[in-house]
Amino acid sequence: MPFSRGRGWRVPVPAFASQGIRFVADSPISMVPASQPAPEVARGGREGISGWLAERIDLVLRLGLLGIILIAAAIFTLDTIPSKHLSDIGQSIFISQGNLQDLARQMAVVGVIALGETFVIITAGIDLSVGSLLGLCGVIAAEGFLNGWSTPVVIFTTLLFALAVGLVNGLLVDMAKIPPFIVTLGMLGILRGAAYLVTQGLNLALSPTGQPTPFTSWIENTNFAIPNIFIVLAVLGVASAIFLRFTRRGRYIYALGSNPESARRVGINVRATILTVYALSGLSAGVAGLLLTGRLGTANPNAGTSYELDAISAAVLGGASLFGARGTILGTFLGVVLVNMLANGIDIDPHAIDPHMQQVVEGALLIIIVWIDQWRKRRVVAG
Amino acid sequence: MQAQDVAGRIPILAAHGIAKRYGSVTALEEVDFEVYEGEICALIGDNGAGKSTLVKILAGAVRPDSGSLRLRGKVVDFHSPRDARAAGIETVYQDLALAPDLDVASNLFLGREIKSPPPLGWFDFYNQRAMRDQAAIHLKNLKVNLRSIRQTVETLSGGQRQSVAVARAVFWSKDVVILDEPTAALGVAQSGMVLELMKRVRDKGSAVIFISHNMPHVFEVANRMIVLRRGRRVGTLYPENDGMDQAVSLMTGAVSATAGLTL
Repeated sequence: MPFSRGRGWRVPVPAFASQGIRFVADSPISMVPASQPAPEVARGGREGISGWLAERIDLVLRLGLLGIILIAAAIFTLDTIPSKHLSDIGQSIFISQGNLQDLARQMAVVGVIALGETFVIITAGIDLSVGSLLGLCGVIAAEGFLNGWSTPVVIFTTLLFALAVGLVNGLLVDMAKIPPFIVTLGMLGILRGAAYLVTQGLNLALSPTGQPTPFTSWIENTNFAIPNIFIVLAVLGVASAIFLRFTRRGRYIYALGSNPESARRVGINVRATILTVYALSGLSAGVAGLLLTGRLGTANPNAGTSYELDAISAAVLGGASLFGARGTILGTFLGVVLVNMLANGIDIDPHAIDPHMQQVVEGALLIIIVWIDQWRKRRVVAG
Repeated sequence: MQAQDVAGRIPILAAHGIAKRYGSVTALEEVDFEVYEGEICALIGDNGAGKSTLVKILAGAVRPDSGSLRLRGKVVDFHSPRDARAAGIETVYQDLALAPDLDVASNLFLGREIKSPPPLGWFDFYNQRAMRDQAAIHLKNLKVNLRSIRQTVETLSGGQRQSVAVARAVFWSKDVVILDEPTAALGVAQSGMVLELMKRVRDKGSAVIFISHNMPHVFEVANRMIVLRRGRRVGTLYPENDGMDQAVSLMTGAVSATAGLTL
């Protein structure tokens, strides 16, 4: 019975055929059970409270994250009132202008690479090289300044290098078909080693005398009390969010993460999409490298070590899925706020929470959020 | 053997003398094929009969070694699936090519999004509202029932997913829709939903090419069946005249009847 290999048999037709039963389309007695257009059966697992929750889990998780942020902020605010009287809440150190500016500055560097990381994660990829690239870009910028290049030239050169590294990552992922984890893990080592080779392990000060340069002053300055470095993050964040949410190429990033084969089939340029996300991730590391070097006034070959993990954590806390097709810039931003706020709060208020608890809390949150995402998938996805 | 011209109509899509070899293996040999508007033409045959090679040639994914294709009487030469799609031939393969995490409207327009009017359109913005409106109207016309056009495809049943893929093909096709085993992975009720959809597509005037192993499904919806066996066309059957046993015999080579060919 050679047909039995066919996937489509619902009825053992060769058996019918051997009995001489004829199937006629307009036969009054249909022998074809499949012909009845049955009303669409409600999908299992979407009813009830848990089904409702599963479909809105993104919103619920974002609100939950926002809730955690607000609760932590409230604790830090109340706990850092010097007089410990609620009426003196205005004097709370946590919500003082100086501390909020510090917090904004701390957020900017990891925040910028988290933007790039979000693009990559949505394609179901990962970029582990951004921390090292950040460090090397800082070194390149410092070398440029020390060689007397003008600020625009330094910025351009640094970003061009970062873009090139991102494109190499993208090409290796797309053309050589090496898993993104391996490509960028290799790049992590290469770039960090290069940073040490170039500097011979030494810090490079931007100005020989240690005086502020126009570049470091701009980074340090504020506009309307908002640190410029944070404005950079905000502008890039808004641009990234618009790109992802409203443009066709942004939509293709999700489509690629959802099903690369489908994306290819419908005519989406998969190669261009992959190159775009890794290029953007590289560029974001370049920007972050400039920001960090400007902020510190020196380039340290060690700078940015393990920042890639902070960026990935922030994106995942914010709802990005390592399996692809999920994640938003707003979510990633909330993740960045949470991670940095905990660090900042514990810094200024070591009595509220044991400093080591921060890592425990972050790690646990990460696992819980991915766990919830897996639960959602089981509930929502039809069989 | 000559293609049978029903009532003197000109086929929308016709292939003549198609041959394709892979190394020493002959996938197709001197195969003629034709499909008319407003009909469901089933392509049946055992595994390895050459169905998928023929379909890939019609869809532009494979180029034949010899033979020619005519679309509405004009000779066409497809170098890629893109050419075939531009000519109005849409294919739904078994993997459906849907993005499960995106919603139904996004999938209907995936890769062919409607641009926003300028100035936003200059910056690659897509027009979400227009796409959702058109998707809703189109699915309603085809009576594809979904809870919401904003549902992600992953939340749909198998039959609904297949229906969305078929509806997308119909939306973008001008004349011809090719469906590769659209009911293979579906249960009874879900298959029924897809078969009904195929009939509605046919009744709207499209030519539907239907590849299936499932004889009951083929006999239910097809107007005509072209039987392939070992790379050759061995017969044309009509469900009102011919029986499933005949189809099966032709496919397996037990009989070489209607075409009068001696094998």
